[in-house]
Amino acid sequence: MIALLLMGFGIVALIQIPGLIKKQWWRELACFTVLWSIGLVLSVMLAMGITLPPVSTMINQYISGMFGI
Amino acid sequence: MLEKGRISSFQLSVLLVGFVLGSSIIITPGGDAGHDAWIAIALGLMEGSLIALIFTALVLRFKDKTIIEINDLVFGKVIGKLISVLFLWYFLHLGALVLNDYVHFFRLELYPATPRTVMLLIIMLVCASTVNRGIEALARCSLILVPLTISVIFLVTMFLIPHFNLNNLMPILDLPIGKLLWSAHSVASFPFAESVVFVMILAFLNKSEKGGRAVSKALIIAGLVLIIASIRNSAVLGPMVAAYNYPSYQAVQVIDIRDIFTRLEILVAINFITMGFLKISVLLYGTVLGLAQVLNLQSYRPIILPVGILMVILALTNVANTIELFDFTHKIYPIYAVPFQIIIPLITLIIAKLRQLPKTDGGIP
Repeated sequence: MIALLLMGFGIVALIQIPGLIKKQWWRELACFTVLWSIGLVLSVMLAMGITLPPVSTMINQYISGMFGI
Repeated sequence: MLEKGRISSFQLSVLLVGFVLGSSIIITPGGDAGHDAWIAIALGLMEGSLIALIFTALVLRFKDKTIIEINDLVFGKVIGKLISVLFLWYFLHLGALVLNDYVHFFRLELYPATPRTVMLLIIMLVCASTVNRGIEALARCSLILVPLTISVIFLVTMFLIPHFNLNNLMPILDLPIGKLLWSAHSVASFPFAESVVFVMILAFLNKSEKGGRAVSKALIIAGLVLIIASIRNSAVLGPMVAAYNYPSYQAVQVIDIRDIFTRLEILVAINFITMGFLKISVLLYGTVLGLAQVLNLQSYRPIILPVGILMVILALTNVANTIELFDFTHKIYPIYAVPFQIIIPLITLIIAKLRQLPKTDGGIP
């Protein structure tokens, strides 16, 4: 599963990075790399079975507590 | 400008109809009002139209500018960027919620054995590919898909007429007024006022002065379609309408014309695929264009895939199960969405008026 993930992320990087380097869009390259890295880390965590905090459930609890719903 | 494409007011209207129909095509809004759901939708349409007046007035005041640029002008660079990030979070989260609706529906009704990740990746790749081609391609897709979807809704409604029992709609206004108003507000927040994401698209109208009318027309058309669907579902399913998660899907299952036209509920699923695609694409487009503007990028295209992946991850981890998703959608979302749909655009509009923005060279707005 993790090998598949790495392959998928590798393909995305291969599609985007050469074009950005050719155009010398360094800022775009930096943003792409940061977002791509966050995606990669979170995906690997999910693939390893690590549970990420459910955002809507947290919002649900926060708003329920605030308004006493 | 990051987006060079331009769309007509007609294209904007059709895209907005598709966006509003989006996931509400299967999760008919106002479900907690039971057989009075159509009244809740009508009231919600009125509230949603008022909300749309606020954000269209704001965007059309600053011609050719998206909400990200408007926030910078009205609040200054730092606070403006912070407010813009809040909007981007809302678009990303809403996109993930629509993906959730998508996946939960298909897992429950059609593909119980297919992994969620596979479904999410397939729809996201299609959406990313469309967004990569720009707003014009997205608008042209809607020109084909929305008329088809509305035709299918009318077709299945015609087929269902023999199964109508109008007594199922009686007694009218059987609901306590407080519950009806809450239901109407929840309909306004989902789906009508979600059109606030068009603050990222209205700037690309070729004739900006027609934007207000285009938005109003689209909301009314989408509202009428939803009212018809709601009356149809209540008339066919009766009191059970409130018990189903996907009443349109259940109602269409009843169609059986001489054993030839049966299992037409797949048409409802196809409608959801097409309208869901439009809604997710618009939200992805709003998120990536906004993020590119916040970060001063030369193009939004390089970040489409990474942001799409983040939207998929958020959809995978957003809620623990279907019950929590429905709980969030029905009870919490109408409150959660208020700052993004009403408060921030209204405050921005008031400040822009007080500061007489945008200023022309002579300082006169």
